[in-house]
Amino acid sequence: MAGSALKRLMAEYKQLTLNPPEGIVAGPVNEDNFFEWEALITGPEDTCFEGGVFPARLTFPSDYPLSPPKMKFSCDIFHPNIYADGRVCISILHAPGDDPMGYESSAERWSPVQSVEKILLSVVSMLAEPNDESAANVDAAKTWREDREKFNDIAHSTVRKSIGL
Amino acid sequence: MATENIEDAKAQMGYDPTTNYDEATMAQQRQIEQEIAGCQPLIGKETDLKTLHDEYSPEDKIYQDKITDLQRKHSAYRRIRMDGNCFYRGFGFGYMEKLLKDKSELQRFKEVVTTSKDEMIKLGFPSFTIEDFHSNFIEVLEKLEKDCGVDELLEIFNDQGYSDYLVVYLRLLVSGHLQKNDDFFMNFIEGGRSVKEFCAQEVEPMGKESDHIHITALTAITGVPVCIEYMDRSEGHGVTTLVFPDDKTPVLTLLYKPGHYDLLY
Repeated sequence: MAGSALKRLMAEYKQLTLNPPEGIVAGPVNEDNFFEWEALITGPEDTCFEGGVFPARLTFPSDYPLSPPKMKFSCDIFHPNIYADGRVCISILHAPGDDPMGYESSAERWSPVQSVEKILLSVVSMLAEPNDESAANVDAAKTWREDREKFNDIAHSTVRKSIGL
Repeated sequence: MATENIEDAKAQMGYDPTTNYDEATMAQQRQIEQEIAGCQPLIGKETDLKTLHDEYSPEDKIYQDKITDLQRKHSAYRRIRMDGNCFYRGFGFGYMEKLLKDKSELQRFKEVVTTSKDEMIKLGFPSFTIEDFHSNFIEVLEKLEKDCGVDELLEIFNDQGYSDYLVVYLRLLVSGHLQKNDDFFMNFIEGGRSVKEFCAQEVEPMGKESDHIHITALTAITGVPVCIEYMDRSEGHGVTTLVFPDDKTPVLTLLYKPGHYDLLY
């Protein structure tokens, strides 16, 4: 069975290259190591993150896709579902039962038929619609809920920074 | 509960917003899994059913009586690791063990598995997500066609990689069957979920336990009738026997104790 994770990751990379979803680019950091990917995610339109391009790292376990990868933004991003250190905390990155945030039972979960593409699409939705019920960054959740204007200002400066302005 | 209250509660419990609890929880879960893995193989050796008596206190009359009842029909059992995949793993091993001695049934089943891939792609599973699980399953069936004995099968099923890939494909067969017949199965799904949502949450993820609906689907899609002996704390001296589907002669028998399946002989 050795090599099955690698085979799957190569297939996913090929798929993402042939049919890239809008606003997402992803692939191995270098082709010697398929277990470490970089992704660039465009801030969704009509949201406070519009216009930004956010880099993130995906780290895959040796038993992928039985277990999900981990994802971490490599830029500053102030968001309820992203830890201060950049780690992404959303339900699709967890198997059911693996429930640190008490996700809703209807939330999308990790399974071997999920994929990098599905994760990245979920992250785009997460940017558009933060889930402040399962907050990883409590401060960001509070600001999102109580002072939307301030949240938007921080997001706008993150956007400008992400494109080097 | 309002979110503010949750945060107040978190603060009272000494919640530290800078700590990555997510990671800590997962690390702890991994550790528990490894502890279980260390002391129990995925599929155990065939063991005399008498030894099951020792698992319960002699004063535990309900269970002792039920084990005695079980011994009227069965002589041995194999323990399956308690990891939420026991139904699929037990079914897979028990059935393939039968296939070692029945080459024509093996050909029938191989045909079922071979055609199932296209069925799943038709249902919308991206082919790159099912390809490896499908080819691993076929690879194991091809080993059975050659000179494979019980010991080798046991080795395959105790190799975590092979074994988990087999479990995934059985899960996908169940998911495919439920989705293909969603008009019927939607009547049995609670919580206002669609069949597709149910499959994504309760069937496809590893470690999710199986209930009647999963058993019904797996026996139907594989064409392999299964008997389940239910042993629980309910009144009565005997185990409850159910056959899926109830008008067929079962090919294998599983022992159900609340939350877990083992394989019976």
